[in-house]
Amino acid sequence: MNMENFDLTILLPALLAGLLVLATHVPLGRQVLTRGIVFIDLALAQVAGLGIILMDTLGFEPHGWRAQAAACAAALVGALLLTWTQKRWAEVQEALVGTLFAAAACAGLLLLAHNPHGGEHLQDLLGGQILWTSPYDLIPVAILYAAVLAIWFGFRQRLGDLGFYLLFAVTVTASVQLVGIYLVFASLIVPALAVRRMREALQLPMGYAIGALGYAVGLLFSAMFDLPTGPVIVCALVAMMALTWMAERGKG
Amino acid sequence: MNKLLINAVLISALFFTAAPAKAAVNIFACEPEWGSLATEIGGDAVSVYVASTGRQDPHQVQARPSLIARARSADLVFCTGAELEVGWMPVVLRQAANGKIQPGSPGYLEAASVVSMKEIPQHLDRAEGDVHAAGNPHIQTDPRNFLPVVDALAARLAEIDPTHASIYKARHDAFVAKWRAAIRKWETEAAPLKGMQIAVQHKNWIYLLDWLGLRDVVALEPKPGVPPSSGYLSEVLAKVKASPVKMTIRAAYEDERPSQWLKQNAGVPAVELPFTVGGNDKAKDLFGLFDETIDHLMKGVRP
Repeated sequence: MNMENFDLTILLPALLAGLLVLATHVPLGRQVLTRGIVFIDLALAQVAGLGIILMDTLGFEPHGWRAQAAACAAALVGALLLTWTQKRWAEVQEALVGTLFAAAACAGLLLLAHNPHGGEHLQDLLGGQILWTSPYDLIPVAILYAAVLAIWFGFRQRLGDLGFYLLFAVTVTASVQLVGIYLVFASLIVPALAVRRMREALQLPMGYAIGALGYAVGLLFSAMFDLPTGPVIVCALVAMMALTWMAERGKG
Repeated sequence: MNKLLINAVLISALFFTAAPAKAAVNIFACEPEWGSLATEIGGDAVSVYVASTGRQDPHQVQARPSLIARARSADLVFCTGAELEVGWMPVVLRQAANGKIQPGSPGYLEAASVVSMKEIPQHLDRAEGDVHAAGNPHIQTDPRNFLPVVDALAARLAEIDPTHASIYKARHDAFVAKWRAAIRKWETEAAPLKGMQIAVQHKNWIYLLDWLGLRDVVALEPKPGVPPSSGYLSEVLAKVKASPVKMTIRAAYEDERPSQWLKQNAGVPAVELPFTVGGNDKAKDLFGLFDETIDHLMKGVRP
């Protein structure tokens, strides 16, 4: 272990990627928690992966913008499906989201049985690694997320189910490739859980603060102990949530 | 709280001061076998960092800060190549932005580039499974493959660090003599294995099989990461019945369940081999790796 790991040019792009993901995931996560559909990110990411495998199976080389288009189109179809089920069977929406996750994952495995390279594409899509991010990768995501945030904070009242699911699909398809599925789940759910019982006005800023602190502490530990960065940040986020709860209990 | 703070400061101080002494040549080895070989040839003149462990699938390496930090300060990157590290090494090289170790420069050495590769596909057919265009990359399972690699490594070290060239030459010559003698010893010990039929869990043993004259009748996991179909498994049982195999071999980092399944269903002993340095506790260096490999194979035959 030495100073080399603390090189800011290694850690800073990862931190920026994390903050970018948090920017959209903290507000969306609160909505996801309210709706009680916490696995929606896993389900839509898995459907996006299915889109890439399907494209590969049909004989198209899924690279660059075409892979992105396939992933995004599949996620949007998944979002439409979930909007429809929300209208028809709202009372079992959470179970249907979970079912979509398992079904999409297994459909992917079945297609892969005759498509050896799909596995690598799926790995690329779902297993994004935050440390591999370069500032160059962040620019398109930053533009996309600026638009997502503008729509979310500008027209949230008029979005309805359809708008929410579509916006969510686009957001998650971008973030899983950047930081991977575990960090996406944690960035979405953990800050929202941590601030659940706070005053309404405090929830969003505290959610951002807890998320940012989790990423910063996780990156620091990853550098200090040379541990895989993604998993350390997930654990740090959960630790921040636990500390927040303990502080709240201590106060009142 | 104060105590915690003091502990944190002490721990960090420990890390900062424990930095390795500055050696002449910093070597970034992708896999443990190349790290061991670099230590054999470089001795104290080099400082070796190994990016993966012996119990890790070299296709999949998690992103850690030291990967980029060590690549940044490396004078020589020493990897298998042949697309084995394609999932992570290109990103590490890009993030490191170190001109000395980019592909094509003296500081970038791929072992596969000097070994005669097997299973190079005649034509690239994407339906053929885990296809590597450059051939099967698991060259470290045949000790003879280390001979051309160690020549290339010694030459490269002398080019990067001419002041220690005589040391590299002497250590290279000593290693080659010792290695050739060891190969003869292993071949004598493993003579009874010649022509024997075995099953492999995954097709990553082609070089070992070729060296010892073993024949693989069947592979349990034709495609990594994709569970075999029930039809394929009954085909496996039929093949094993038609031409009995002595054992199933698997690498230390692989899941033991497929070979245990064949043990339960056809009574074929399951043998775990270290696959690389650090694959088990006794495979501490390259000599230990092949001592262990031969030992486990022989135990598989005569339990």
